[in-house]
Amino acid sequence: MSVKTNADKLVNISVMGEISAPAMPPLPASPYALSSEGQPFLLPAWGSIVYNVSVGDTAYGWLADCIHPGVSVNIKDGMGNNGLNILSCVGNVAMVMTGNAKGAKGTVTGKSGRFSEQVILHFDQATREQMSIGDKIVIRAKGVGMQLPDHPSVKVKSCSPELLDALELTTTSDGKLAVPVVAVVPPHLLGAGAGLASEGGSIHIQTADAGAVKEAGLDQLRLGDVVALGEYDSSWGHGYMRGAIGIGVIAQGDSPRAGYGPGITLLMTSATGGIAPQISGSVNIKDLIL
Amino acid sequence: MSLATNADQLVEMAVIGFVSQPTMRPGGYIPSSSGEAVVLPGMSGFIYNARVGDNAFGWAADHLEPGASTAHPELDKDYAMHYLTCIGNKAVITSGMAKGAEGIVTGEHARMLVDFAPEVGEMLCIGDGVQIRAKGRGLAFTDYPGITLKKCSPELINAIPLIETADGKISVPVTMELPIQIMGSGAELGPDFVDQDLMTGDRQLMADLGIDQMKLGDLVVIPNADHRFGRGYKPGAVTIGLCIHGDSVMIGHGPGILTLMTCAEPLIEWRIDPHANIANYLKIGTYA
Repeated sequence: MSVKTNADKLVNISVMGEISAPAMPPLPASPYALSSEGQPFLLPAWGSIVYNVSVGDTAYGWLADCIHPGVSVNIKDGMGNNGLNILSCVGNVAMVMTGNAKGAKGTVTGKSGRFSEQVILHFDQATREQMSIGDKIVIRAKGVGMQLPDHPSVKVKSCSPELLDALELTTTSDGKLAVPVVAVVPPHLLGAGAGLASEGGSIHIQTADAGAVKEAGLDQLRLGDVVALGEYDSSWGHGYMRGAIGIGVIAQGDSPRAGYGPGITLLMTSATGGIAPQISGSVNIKDLIL
Repeated sequence: MSLATNADQLVEMAVIGFVSQPTMRPGGYIPSSSGEAVVLPGMSGFIYNARVGDNAFGWAADHLEPGASTAHPELDKDYAMHYLTCIGNKAVITSGMAKGAEGIVTGEHARMLVDFAPEVGEMLCIGDGVQIRAKGRGLAFTDYPGITLKKCSPELINAIPLIETADGKISVPVTMELPIQIMGSGAELGPDFVDQDLMTGDRQLMADLGIDQMKLGDLVVIPNADHRFGRGYKPGAVTIGLCIHGDSVMIGHGPGILTLMTCAEPLIEWRIDPHANIANYLKIGTYA
């Protein structure tokens, strides 16, 4: 490993989720959501088993609202769901414990936030065919508490040691943590998720203005792409801060809603600019850990 | 000069909430943007010593809600109170020692915020009924269909010195401009529900831009913010907001900005006026 960690001190603990059923809002707005232009729309949204969208696919163009690639899990117990959402880290191994796909292994690829609060997992498509809503999946959670001793300003969140290792991190000549990314999201394009928790959940790129998205080089994003969050400090929640910088992974697809778009699961943050994103052609967790 | 509206078509309807008890999570701590754990008051109850018109910054408080904060214990009725109540609506206390006293709605956070005179506040008990004469939903400018009004009572619209410009726009007085990149918590909510916090974690930026001089009740402008159907970034859009609650120590949070007017195209202009505050326009709070 190119950057020192305290990974040998991390505890490996089980958390369990059940494959979630898709949910729809009740009357009277039922079942429509509103687009950024005020058009009611009815589309598949987050959760469930998604057979034909996977990490590595485009984040745009699906007829869906913040679609989760692969399989999504949660549990009804609110405090327990917090444990599931916070302790699960991208790259952790998961195993199906019940149902026809019992014993199949998968990988955590992201999390979703307020109003959803699910953990998103990759399983191969043949396994998805065998799964049922309600199947129990245990995640061998490991990563919360991880530190980089040589980069004390960098906080690591929701990131497994395996993903950290695969990211091929280096240190720049001026002592910053160099992280390969596909793009940097400017702060005015970060929307829903601001002010909310950064140990789990999501923060969304807002895509209502296609020109601004293209200008920032964000119009070709794929699910699983690693990106930087410019001028955002996610140390204790997500918020605007000059000089701060974050790193995250695109975990959910685009959305027609105002303030929403591809959802990011935060992996690292430095309030004082201790991360130097290195823009690279392709940095996707499909290639790194799947 | 007041602009033509459809106010004579509006329905006036009663909604009721009850003065709410402050609540805390076990432990009570919230993390500050610099990572300190703090315990602070601010939300719910009645704030005896801060009113609309007072400073939004500088209190040893988090999300300070001026006046009385009211909620309804049944969720659907609480939503009705949230969605129907407009800023400037009249409220009357329906029970307890202050029964019959009148106030004015000044904001909508997780609770409705109602300004009462200090002597009324001293008689308030947690749980007292506060009935609001909700009026303003559906209000629109007759001649400006491109401008959407949200949560504006006719009384508030008539009290704000709006000017029709020569090029077919309206000019609104505001105390300051807020850059779009500091608009934070609340982006995940619809614009017809509560407010969106500005993000004050960058304290030096707040001082440099004078944002830390904001008062509760100030009218502010957010250029490039489209709040018609969400709270998002749109170049050229304009949103006029109202500061309803005080600053926060938490990253991504700060004074709450409630949407009053919004347009997707640049149909609203603004002029800086340090007295652009609803306490001034409605003669309440520190201007009473």
